Amino acid sequence: MSDIKEFLTNDHRACDEEFALLEEAVAAKNSDAPKLYEKFSSDLTNHFSMEEIVLFPMLGQASSVAGGAIKAMEMEHEQMRTLLSKMRKAVESMDKESFFSLSETLMILMQQHNMKEEQLLYTLAEQHLGEDADHIVRQMRSVAY
Amino acid sequence: MDFDGLSVDQAPPITAPLRFFATAPIFAILAGFFIFFSDAAALSSRFAPQAIAVTHAITIGFFCFVMFGALVQMLPVLAGVKISNVDKVSKLSYILLLAGTLGMVFGLWFELQKLLLIASLLLGGGFLLLITAMLFAFRTVVHINASIRAMITSLIFALLITLLGVHLLASYGIGKIGASHLLFANIHSVWAIFGFAGILIVGVAFHILPMFYVAPKFEPFFQRFAVLIAVAGLVLWLILNLFADSYAIAAKSIIASLFMVFAIMAWLKVSARRRKVSDITIWYWKSAAVFMTVGTVAWVVNDFFDEKYTVFVSILVGGGFIFSVMSGMLYKIVPFLVWFHLNAKGYMSIPTMNDMINKKATKWQFALFIFSLIGFALSFFVSQFLGFFALTFIVSMVLLEFNIISAVLIYYKTIKTKPDFDMSMFTMKAE
Repeated sequence: MSDIKEFLTNDHRACDEEFALLEEAVAAKNSDAPKLYEKFSSDLTNHFSMEEIVLFPMLGQASSVAGGAIKAMEMEHEQMRTLLSKMRKAVESMDKESFFSLSETLMILMQQHNMKEEQLLYTLAEQHLGEDADHIVRQMRSVAY
Repeated sequence: MDFDGLSVDQAPPITAPLRFFATAPIFAILAGFFIFFSDAAALSSRFAPQAIAVTHAITIGFFCFVMFGALVQMLPVLAGVKISNVDKVSKLSYILLLAGTLGMVFGLWFELQKLLLIASLLLGGGFLLLITAMLFAFRTVVHINASIRAMITSLIFALLITLLGVHLLASYGIGKIGASHLLFANIHSVWAIFGFAGILIVGVAFHILPMFYVAPKFEPFFQRFAVLIAVAGLVLWLILNLFADSYAIAAKSIIASLFMVFAIMAWLKVSARRRKVSDITIWYWKSAAVFMTVGTVAWVVNDFFDEKYTVFVSILVGGGFIFSVMSGMLYKIVPFLVWFHLNAKGYMSIPTMNDMINKKATKWQFALFIFSLIGFALSFFVSQFLGFFALTFIVSMVLLEFNIISAVLIYYKTIKTKPDFDMSMFTMKAE
């Protein structure tokens, strides 16, 4: 049986790993950096899509208290998308200073966002949508890949 | 289940944590001046009023202000709960704690008994208000993990040490020092350092280190039992202190071992982090780990010397461990808060976190702080240069305040000058 919280939390950690690899590549001015950026960027935005298209609407319907939190999470997704697009320019021009300026901000934003989701929203999802978890995880996978 | 108080959508107003953060280094500067004007011999005795004034300018003025500022901000993030009336509660407790701490340190310094009595009431009110409001907020937590368990435990210790502290300070205020005064003072200080600050740092580190630095997680066994062992050690230490003092070292060894293991683990986790980029917060975590490792050994060994070196131990554990972690935390949280709140208001052309604080200034601040700390530790044995190290400490704290205020000013300047289109009407409410 699938576990929504575990599935999405593992996805957070996978994005963290990719982020660390990207930072390492940019620090070393490695030619792989643009490729690693693309991988990280697409996986992170896929994660947002899984939540925005599948999880959040279902959770919003199932839980009367999740609405405000969902709105805040979507707003933070937008903030992260903006930072991501700025990072693309920094990677393309190999502007290390600009990249690390943006990456540090993205990292803290991303982690405090993840903490809130893992602590609250995913727990609520488990409580309200747990019985349908197999189906929901399958749907999320189909959005992403 | 009551979900009324759960919240990630309402970040507390930025002023709630910022006022605590911006004030903390000022108390450290004040402590530096106290040290500068102190008699070195008086400071080497932990029960001298001058030493108590210096200690509390640091422990309440700096540590508690940073910890409470961080807790007010982090509760919705780490635990998904919100403090009811967070703005009013944090503002009122800030005023009470500010006035109370000033009253306490100047009351002790100038031996003004009435002021001490008033300070004990103000501090008691400020601490109890904020601590109970935070503990109350946890009633709606939907998922309890190791970090949350640690936060709740540390707040319970905070509550107990507040009650003891109010009693101790009021005793000075009415000029009635009872036979149990030293025993209570001992319990107050050990529970404050290890029960409140120590457990809180351990709990937050479980979450923060793996997430912010992509470091390996703390072992599940350690996460599960660390707080339990710390509580058991601290309670056992209390019982032995009350009824079998000569065996108290057994409990001390348990507490010291736990925190030493934590310090070594924190060092190893930070060193094995996947994000190879190093910044000032990494340096602070590493210095905290080193000072805590040495400090816990010194704390136990101190028992074999009739507790002659308690002040030296306090410099290592309080100054080296807690102070380092708090300073590192300030450098991470303040720029993020400024960026986050401005961005949420719709200001897009704002500096990123890294651009808000001058990196060179943070490195100088760190170097001066560590230099002063080592100087203070050495001054316990050779006191001639204590005044000089007090001055370097003051400079490091002025720099810390300057660095923090630089970021805070960016917030207010942006709000005032509105450099780009303000979309605040269309975005989330984050003050």
